[in-house]
Amino acid sequence: MNTSSTMFAIVTDAFGGRGGIAQYNRDFLGALVQTGAVSSITVLPRLAPDLPAPPEKIEQTSARRGRIAYSVAALRIALFRRVDVVFCGHLFMAPLARLIARLKRAKLIVQTHGVEAWPRPSRLQRAALEGADLVLCVSRHTRAAVLSWASNAPERVLVVADTVREEFTPGDGSTLRGVLALENKRVLLTVSRMDSRQRYKGQDRVIAAISYLVAEGHDVHYVVAGEGDDRARLEALALQARVSERVHFLGAPKLQSLIELYRMADLFVMPSTGEGFGIAFLEAMASGTPALGLDVGGARDALADSQLGTAVPEAELPATIARLLADPKPDSAALAAATHARFGRAMFTTGVRTALNRLTETI
Amino acid sequence: MCGINGIFAYHSASSAPEEAELLVTRDAMRARGPDGSGAWWSADRRCALGHRRLSIIDLSDRASQPMTSEDGRFVVVFNGEIYNYPQLRVELEVDGARFRTTSDTEALLHLYARYGAEMVHRLRGMFAFAIWDEVRRGIFLARDPYGIKPLYTANDGWTFRFASQVKALLAGGHVSRDPEPAGIVGFHLFGSVPEPFTLYRDIRALPAGHTQWIDAAGPREPKPFSNLAEILAKGAANPVPAGEISERVRAGVLDSVRAHLLADVEVGIFLSAGVDSGALLGMMRDAGQHEIRAITLTFAEFHGTSEDEAPLAERVSKQYGARHIVRSLSEQEFIRDLPTIFEAMDQPSIDGVNTWFVSKAAKEAGLKVAISGLGGDELLGGYPSFLDLPRWHRRFGGLAEIPGLGLLARMLMAAVAPSFSRTVPKALGVLEHSGSWAGTYLLRRGLFLPHELPDIMDAEIAREGLRRLKPLHRLDANLTPDPISDNARVCMLESAQYMRNQLLRDADWVGMAHSLEIRVPLVDFTLLRALAPVIPLLTSGAGKAALGKAPTVPLPREIVTRAKTGFNVPTGDWMNTATSSGSGSKVVRLESKGLISRRWSRTVLNGVAPTNQPLLHAS
Repeated sequence: MNTSSTMFAIVTDAFGGRGGIAQYNRDFLGALVQTGAVSSITVLPRLAPDLPAPPEKIEQTSARRGRIAYSVAALRIALFRRVDVVFCGHLFMAPLARLIARLKRAKLIVQTHGVEAWPRPSRLQRAALEGADLVLCVSRHTRAAVLSWASNAPERVLVVADTVREEFTPGDGSTLRGVLALENKRVLLTVSRMDSRQRYKGQDRVIAAISYLVAEGHDVHYVVAGEGDDRARLEALALQARVSERVHFLGAPKLQSLIELYRMADLFVMPSTGEGFGIAFLEAMASGTPALGLDVGGARDALADSQLGTAVPEAELPATIARLLADPKPDSAALAAATHARFGRAMFTTGVRTALNRLTETI
Repeated sequence: MCGINGIFAYHSASSAPEEAELLVTRDAMRARGPDGSGAWWSADRRCALGHRRLSIIDLSDRASQPMTSEDGRFVVVFNGEIYNYPQLRVELEVDGARFRTTSDTEALLHLYARYGAEMVHRLRGMFAFAIWDEVRRGIFLARDPYGIKPLYTANDGWTFRFASQVKALLAGGHVSRDPEPAGIVGFHLFGSVPEPFTLYRDIRALPAGHTQWIDAAGPREPKPFSNLAEILAKGAANPVPAGEISERVRAGVLDSVRAHLLADVEVGIFLSAGVDSGALLGMMRDAGQHEIRAITLTFAEFHGTSEDEAPLAERVSKQYGARHIVRSLSEQEFIRDLPTIFEAMDQPSIDGVNTWFVSKAAKEAGLKVAISGLGGDELLGGYPSFLDLPRWHRRFGGLAEIPGLGLLARMLMAAVAPSFSRTVPKALGVLEHSGSWAGTYLLRRGLFLPHELPDIMDAEIAREGLRRLKPLHRLDANLTPDPISDNARVCMLESAQYMRNQLLRDADWVGMAHSLEIRVPLVDFTLLRALAPVIPLLTSGAGKAALGKAPTVPLPREIVTRAKTGFNVPTGDWMNTATSSGSGSKVVRLESKGLISRRWSRTVLNGVAPTNQPLLHAS
């Protein structure tokens, strides 16, 4: 890209937002200004529950939750500001982004994450995505899904995988074990939302496996970190399976606590069937803890086809947990280094810059 | 002539290629290259290249591939032949290049080092190759202007793979088998899968006459380096006097035949009783080849009829002093070979069986290289389509442009004359499609028409496939720039659709299944340049007449005036047997060839595509 290009980012959330998509948007937009790929970015979010703190050269305007209010605000920004590139952070917003890109004769980048892009979208969304100059996907699975319903040139549909922050490093988790009274226990951990609309994360699969693991001789405890309206159902499941004393719901941890949680666990397990990528896998492995997921969707990418973590079919989940608990914990420093080597910030920044270059390059 | 493959883990998150995948993919193409195999890995093991060799030029081990440049910067795997290699070598040596072999492969390394991607403009031949550049850390792919040699790619977003065959990529185990609706629909429309699509969404052909670059930023969109329509348009703008047609044809074809004889092994020929192969045999003599073995197929069913090619072929063979080998083919052998044919068929095609048996005969004769007359009909107006397309377009095109009339006519005809609609189904599409050259071509050449698809396959796949394929748009793109004359337009459409996606592809997989290199002197970019000013002037039969007169000793008159049959086999009857196997009765023989082809296409698709993929199959 021309380094004086200005970008307009149409996103659900970014700075001051929560969850994987907000984190990805922050990482992506931050990498763009850091590498000088664009000179400035205007961000219009729909949500910003926390205090936004965008880096230099990024201006985030007030969030507009309602569709109409959001669209009006977006068009107003487009009308009064220079826009060379429109970044659309979610497929649902692609028609609006496409309209603005056409009005401003700007390049259009559409970002796709996971389940929102897996089924065929509306015709309007598909047409908007097919009009994009570049489509970015967080995983190979999402890319394949997009190409199953969109007829974009495959060379213009790129994978820019999630990244893991430098803060996630190996360390001693014994203090937190003490606090949670889990000394000498085998600790499984899942970090994710518990959303009744997204019951694919798989905590219920782990709860269902606990009795088997105990029978196999593992004094196992399961720590579930995260918040959401599905927690009561999961608690009931644990009760039903008579393992509730072994399942601990901790709520959503702050960053430092999260890092310590990862360090404390013997195995991070998230048998989700709907991961666009699964950034929590990276955070766990960067913290030196082995990770296990299902051989489904974007989780395969985060687990690097079982070269960093382990990805298995659902039927093999309980036996694989048992096997991994029986194995000695791998070298934490080596696992963290390998994770950063593939998915670290440096790789991500280079990937983002390279992707942006595709808008203008001639080979 | 060989099989090539490669794996490049270009994305920083991807895992290094597995040796097992490289070798399994490579060795799935064993028949393409029985004389040797090789593999190469970059120092960081992020890129790997594989090669199976059929030795034709420089039979020594020095010429094995993958071949590395002297300085270690470039590594090449190559499938095909560079016919102007001797001239290129002289030029390169004058420029300071030092050759270690006498193979054309090495010339590619020197050319790329000097000219980069522009090197492709210097090549005459059939080629598909990949060159790894250690300094730029990327792969350069190229495929010849006509698409004689195949090259398929697969990119999952992390890792780029390529191979000479679709089935080889699948054999590696890391490429998705998810179906591509555009490929399935394309097969039903044309009887072969139109490039760049394949039956599989993640596998695409590098289009003919394109290059592609792949590096850490992933594969770029393929870039065209040649345009057949442009050559034809330039030719039409500079026509030659009518009196020069014969000499142009003679000189152009002789030059091409001479170039296509470059080999360190014997070059034979497929000989029918047609003009193309007969004239090529005569030109082989004119080019100085004295020992020539010519292969002709014969069938008991045709004995004593005008369709029996053996007697006339024998006469031509004698005239040019060739050693004639007549191979008899029976229905039993046809039926017996079908499973093997479907196994070898890389992508479904309703035509490939013809070439199968003549290639089989060539292999039995011990030939490694055979000349074929393929391409003569496209170049010199040999198909009925050269008359039909302009006539249909002019006759119905005006009406077809009236909005809605075509649809209305189709619905009326289907309601009023259902029986006629069933026996001549394409008649329903006349007013819908004849408004454009592309539409008229689809009407003339199509196996099924778009409106019929929902009745023969999953309606949703048909809709989605048509949307992705955009058949008329794709055909029409071949006519940019407009080749100006009617002949040139039909030449272009036939060359870019039927010949490229069906005849040439069949010649490749069939030849390779028998470890036989099929060379096509009438499919040659240099020849097209020479004849482009002639093509607009050719009246019906004039092109073939000129070709018949081209050898020093012209072809016998009976050959030139004989109705076209080509390498016919009694496929009509035999396909009926094959498609009705199990039913216990032969289907009525009075069916038109088109209807037989339609049924045959279902047998082919079922034979080629895995049966565990219901979406690929017709309902």
